Amino acid sequence: MKNDSLKEFISKNREGFDAQTPPENLWQKIESALPKFPKQVFWNSVSFWRAAAIVLLGLSSYLFYVKNNTKVEKQDVAAMQGFSDLENYYSSQITEKMDLVSRYQSQTGLTEDEVTQNLKKLEAMYLVLKDQLKKRPTQDVRDALVLNLLVRIDLINQQLNKLDRPEKGEQKSI
Amino acid sequence: MDELIARCRGGDRQAHYQLYKLYSRAMYNVGYRIVNNADEAKDVLQDAFISAFNNLQSYRGDSSFGGWLKRIVVNKAINLVRRRRFERLPENENFDVKEEEVVDEFEGYPFEVEKVRRAIEQLPDGYRVVLSLYLLEGYDHGEIGEILGITESTSKSQFNRSKKKLKEILEGGNL
Repeated sequence: MKNDSLKEFISKNREGFDAQTPPENLWQKIESALPKFPKQVFWNSVSFWRAAAIVLLGLSSYLFYVKNNTKVEKQDVAAMQGFSDLENYYSSQITEKMDLVSRYQSQTGLTEDEVTQNLKKLEAMYLVLKDQLKKRPTQDVRDALVLNLLVRIDLINQQLNKLDRPEKGEQKSI
Repeated sequence: MDELIARCRGGDRQAHYQLYKLYSRAMYNVGYRIVNNADEAKDVLQDAFISAFNNLQSYRGDSSFGGWLKRIVVNKAINLVRRRRFERLPENENFDVKEEEVVDEFEGYPFEVEKVRRAIEQLPDGYRVVLSLYLLEGYDHGEIGEILGITESTSKSQFNRSKKKLKEILEGGNL
């Protein structure tokens, strides 16, 4: 292609061709037509993400709480049922045996000994544990309660044996 | 520039104003050369900036921001000219035109910026738009074809005719 003198002249003097000036008040018109609160400001703002984080945290905590509590309840329904069966059985055993002990004691005229006192202490501890079970129904507390009952039964059995023996001994001696 | 655009996307009005200050004069002249009067050039500039600011998310940065904005101005201005009934933008010729012999009709011509500028303003719409897009806005004939919906060769022949017409105006002495 041959030289284009017009093209050369215009590109050399390009700035001179932008002679027109836009009207002064045009920016105000443009500005007034722009959205006051652009959507992007909201989505990009720190406040939005802060709010979102708080909502998310709250929701997670709630779901965590609900989930865990439901789980505990479900597990505990079965565990508590098993536990109350055990408790009923051992408690009735203890009551029965303690009756026997008291009867022996009143018959023989023996006063409370160390074992009986220990049994009472264990019973007191048992009541404290029972109270704790209401607040915190965990397997540990239930285990401690069952152990308490078993130790008491064991002690009562020993006591009964002790009380039984002199009687037998007396019979033998007679 | 990227930071300024990011601030605009975030709704920073000060950043919008800075972009306007940077580009308003150049863009006003782009629009003015196409529509050829101050009132419509003002409307074009206003519409183009509002449209650009509202659609900044579609600017991907693969071209310069000025180039992207210029294309918006050009399209708005051409739409305005198209709505005029009395003058028409070039249309495709119905038959293949033999490529005209390109002659440098302005060889040694004593140009003056002001005279050339005013002569361009006196060109009919169809000639002025093609000549301005090619010589002042820096589009090639392929791009002009795309903008105006005509073929590249139509753009070329229209440009050659517009140069002849421009020379007539310049030599007519009514400037």
